[in-house]
Amino acid sequence: MTGPRPAPTAGTTTTTRATGTTPAPATTYATTTTYATTTTHATTTTDTGMTTNTGTTTARPTSARNPGTAAAGLSSLALVKLEIRRTLRNRKFLFFSVLFPALLFLITAGGENDGATVPDSGLSVPAYLMVSMASFGALTAVLMGNSERIARERESGWVRQLRLTSLPGRGYVLAKTASAAVISLPSILVVLAAGGLLKGVRLDAWQWLALTGAIWAGSLCFAALGVAVGYLANGDTARPLAMILYFTLSVLGGLWMPATTFPHWLQTLGAWLPTHAYAGLGRAIELGGAPHAKDVVLLVAYFALFAAGAAWLYRKDTLKA
Amino acid sequence: MVHMTTTVTTPADADAVRFDAVTKSYGDVRAVDGLSLTLRPGETVALLGPNGAGKSTTLDLLLGLKRPDSGTVGVFGTGPREAIAAGRVGAMLQSGGLMDEVSVRELVRLACALHPRPYRVHDVLAHAGITQLADRRVDKLSGGQEQRVRFALATAGANDIIVLDEPTTGMDVSARQAFWATMREQADQGRAVLFATHYLEEADAIADRVLVLHRGRLLADGTAAEIKARAGARKVSFDLDELRAGDGGAAAGLRRLPFVTALDVSGHTVRLQSADADATVHALYGLGLYPRNLEVADLGLEQAFVAITAAEEAKAA
Repeated sequence: MTGPRPAPTAGTTTTTRATGTTPAPATTYATTTTYATTTTHATTTTDTGMTTNTGTTTARPTSARNPGTAAAGLSSLALVKLEIRRTLRNRKFLFFSVLFPALLFLITAGGENDGATVPDSGLSVPAYLMVSMASFGALTAVLMGNSERIARERESGWVRQLRLTSLPGRGYVLAKTASAAVISLPSILVVLAAGGLLKGVRLDAWQWLALTGAIWAGSLCFAALGVAVGYLANGDTARPLAMILYFTLSVLGGLWMPATTFPHWLQTLGAWLPTHAYAGLGRAIELGGAPHAKDVVLLVAYFALFAAGAAWLYRKDTLKA
Repeated sequence: MVHMTTTVTTPADADAVRFDAVTKSYGDVRAVDGLSLTLRPGETVALLGPNGAGKSTTLDLLLGLKRPDSGTVGVFGTGPREAIAAGRVGAMLQSGGLMDEVSVRELVRLACALHPRPYRVHDVLAHAGITQLADRRVDKLSGGQEQRVRFALATAGANDIIVLDEPTTGMDVSARQAFWATMREQADQGRAVLFATHYLEEADAIADRVLVLHRGRLLADGTAAEIKARAGARKVSFDLDELRAGDGGAAAGLRRLPFVTALDVSGHTVRLQSADADATVHALYGLGLYPRNLEVADLGLEQAFVAITAAEEAKAA
């Protein structure tokens, strides 16, 4: 606190309080305000001339004091940007969400010209596993990233600190989800690139695009689950809980390998998991069709469930904090 | 509850903060109990009280982090959340954590971006004295450095009130002084400053007005000098050989000592509380008594509060 202290360059507000029994509003602001402009605040450039010495009710830069929803959205964007930047800095996280699924794919997908197909799917092993691993990578990015961070930041008080800013209450969760979604894109792209370039998966251009879009959009479901886990668990239990969900969902949902070796009842159960529907989206596109209605409905239903759970837990946490 | 200052009637929209009969309980514990208070723009106010007095809960209610069970909290004529969304309130809480894995500059830049009326990042850093720390990772800072970063976040824009919860915790003496110098600048620019503390000296040195909180109630509201006079009772203890000898006159004399608010005699040991210890001891010698092992000590804030409370209750009865 000993550094050079230039006079505050912005917002010098002199307040004269009229004491006593003045019937008029007792506050007179003589305001000469030059706010620092940043790219995110189009509303507050220069508010000048709020001077008065008449003692009458003073106009205030109300526009600056009531930021519209647009400004609130822009401020969330600043948080999204910082979240992304810090995630890209985390090498361990990048390895597990981006490189690990791609490596797993390269190892398990077998040779280019084996000609092996996955029973009952009509897809070659590389094509089948490409969707599996791209989905798995996206799942890792949004589920593991969100859950542990949110739990830890609730515990450290950062969430509380953010509530003392103009960021709208939901802004934190939205920023987390948005940044997780951005981070999940490389996980998908790296696996698809490996499939197309190294494992000889041949698809039409629209299929590559649709595949990327479907896997990306589908990951939102697990982003919501990640938020729910983050609000359900504390800093210590978030990771194990997320891990259990992550392995159960990945293995039973058939993301790692076709679930054909499991007992029948387990396969039946697995078929109703969101991960099964998730991988189903991509596989339908690879076969040249639109995603099955059942998969889409199931995924939307799970998203609604997870989002509602996350919202409920979030509100509970807000009231408690 | 006693108001030592004349209450100035100001229109509601001129109040920086207004609590109306606010109550907040945790289970059976009433953390805040029917609290009513008003802060005016530009005032520097200390919220003074021992641990568990309800200071932190009061600040949480003011900042909309907690909702009152009953009563209303207004900040600049709106609810706390609206006032914060409008960028009128800056706050520094003990419980406020920081984002890790980012640099100090990035975090301050975020705080500026989130503020509707931001200052420049460079100035905020300089103001909080953390320019040299700007490129350090937030999770690699010491406790005192973290406090300064929190302060920077609380002053990232042109707020009308700054709320601080025991801000100098963990700071050494010089850091404390520098911190309060910065705070005074903030106050001089016309912003209201409200800070919680359990140091009477800190309240005395900084605040225009001191609110004394005890068990969730407003015990006193006045200038630091007024509060000090009330909390300024001291305890005096000594041994009297005359008492051992069974001198009835000595015991009677003790009861006539001036300024004594509480008297306890056990064996030949006398413990008393006095509003003016110097005068009491002087009178003791005046009686021709020879106290041994004489000790005069401050009552301490906690005991002073108990003394004030007891006095209030006696007055009310």
